[in-house]
Amino acid sequence: MPVNRHVPLVRHEPLGGPYILLTFRHPEIALGARPGQFVMIKAGTSAEPPLRRPFSVLKTNATDETFTLFVKVVGQGSRALAALRPGDLAQCLGPLGRPFDLPADGAEAIMVAGGYGIAPFLMLSEELRRRSRVGRVFYGGRTAGDLQVREPFAGLGVTLVPATEDGTLGHPGRVTEPLEAYLDGGGTPAALYACGPDAMLHAVARIAETRGLPCQVSLDPWMGCGIGTCLGCVVFTQGADQARPKYRCACTEGPVFDSRVVVWSGDDASAARRAGGRP
Amino acid sequence: MKLSVDIAGLHLKNPLIAASGTFGYGVEYEGILDLSVLGGIVSKGLYLEARDGCATPRIVETPSGLLNAIGLQGVGVRAFVHDVLPRLAHANTAILVNVCGDTVEEYAEVTRILDQASGVAAIEINISCPNVKKGGMAFGGDPRMTHEVVAAVRKATRLPVIPKLSPNVGDIAVFARAAEEAGADALSCINTLLGLAIDVESRRPKLAFGTGGLSGPAIRPVAVRMAWQAARAVKIPILGIGGITSAQDALEFLIAGASAVQVGTANFVDPGVYDSILEGLREYLERHGLDDIGAVVGTLAYPGDAPSCDTP
Repeated sequence: MPVNRHVPLVRHEPLGGPYILLTFRHPEIALGARPGQFVMIKAGTSAEPPLRRPFSVLKTNATDETFTLFVKVVGQGSRALAALRPGDLAQCLGPLGRPFDLPADGAEAIMVAGGYGIAPFLMLSEELRRRSRVGRVFYGGRTAGDLQVREPFAGLGVTLVPATEDGTLGHPGRVTEPLEAYLDGGGTPAALYACGPDAMLHAVARIAETRGLPCQVSLDPWMGCGIGTCLGCVVFTQGADQARPKYRCACTEGPVFDSRVVVWSGDDASAARRAGGRP
Repeated sequence: MKLSVDIAGLHLKNPLIAASGTFGYGVEYEGILDLSVLGGIVSKGLYLEARDGCATPRIVETPSGLLNAIGLQGVGVRAFVHDVLPRLAHANTAILVNVCGDTVEEYAEVTRILDQASGVAAIEINISCPNVKKGGMAFGGDPRMTHEVVAAVRKATRLPVIPKLSPNVGDIAVFARAAEEAGADALSCINTLLGLAIDVESRRPKLAFGTGGLSGPAIRPVAVRMAWQAARAVKIPILGIGGITSAQDALEFLIAGASAVQVGTANFVDPGVYDSILEGLREYLERHGLDDIGAVVGTLAYPGDAPSCDTP
């Protein structure tokens, strides 16, 4: 069950560029968050900006009852969070949302991250290690500076494959290129996981569909409340068994969805009903 | 110290009600918030049938506010009665239900179904949603239609009937009086203000629907003014709504003449907001030597004829 608390910032670790790690004390999130879940958080209690923001949980620490967020400073909400200093309070509700399902027995977990979409895959990799499962992370961004969370994956037994569009780190080009090359190599059956920009998620969903692979995507629409009351974050999805498509809340029925149920923008006549994109 | 209020045949343990459209059906808060701390809750608006609502994006943040066009997505009144009401049976708070319709007949039919159900404390009539093409604000923007809808709902139930008025009108007093004449027991003032936010890069509205309804602290002074105008126009009680986030905000509405208040957008920001508002109300009464929240209602010392902006 999610718990609403005023949480103190414990650690503030600037990374390169607009990226930062923020660690807060919140026992229920530290002990209860599953890979893929998120929190709704806002710095302080000021009226501006009005809403909390959703962030995937990057990692938890049961010993000191903390959790860490990987934040890219892009606007008012993230800027206010980045301005917090140890001891300052944030309002935080969590853990929230549907976590990732683990891959079927024998399947390799293939994670595809775009930019700050790396966040949910550290916990998923830790979970895989606990279960002695194998995993691989394809980590893409525009430039090397966008691939800030690499070291924490060391020692988790997952293979990290970086890709940058400007070629400053790893494969030069889109992250889906080394992904497809790897899948073409055959070997173990794969289960795909993707988190990042909509266009990347859609591309990974298509790759999965073409190859008949299961794929879970973590969506990131604007959210108002995080608990299914504002109906602001809905995603247009296929209904079960030929039922007509319907809106589902990304906060309570997601943020993780089976990629096959998402009606991607541009897919069909429902294109106007965008699937979860940011305004 | 008495925080309870009795209005329109409703007993509320305190004057704080969760506003329609900002609290789901109440059951979403199970495990997050103890509903019994609230005076009441108002359900998300319900039609006869389930509704999909608007395309996305549906919400956009604005200065101290939220612009939304959800479009009354909902499960329909029968599913609410069958699946939701039983789960609220032990919530120990007043359950008000927000009723919508494309036609006058639909408002009446939804109300009849709720009248037969158990656990409904009052009917709030949604004649003010800006995000639907039919019904909604079309009824709340014409005093004759307001009268017609309220009279039809009045005939369909013995429960207290509370129209929710639109701020998107010239003189809210006209609509308040029309609703009172048609048999309303109280008035909810106000719904969201019609707004438009534009993405300057694409030169398109930020919301898929185009326009939206503005809520949050940004609208509070407008809402307090309109609740005050409505309270002066009618004898029935007013439920004040608009950007309440604190006890100070709630007190503004009460002093302006509202007998109770509804908290809306703040539910999204902080599910724990009720505890701090109640604590603030108690502290205020104590500091002012009052023992009943009712003693605050309508006590605004508004400047009379004497002061004028022209007087040096």
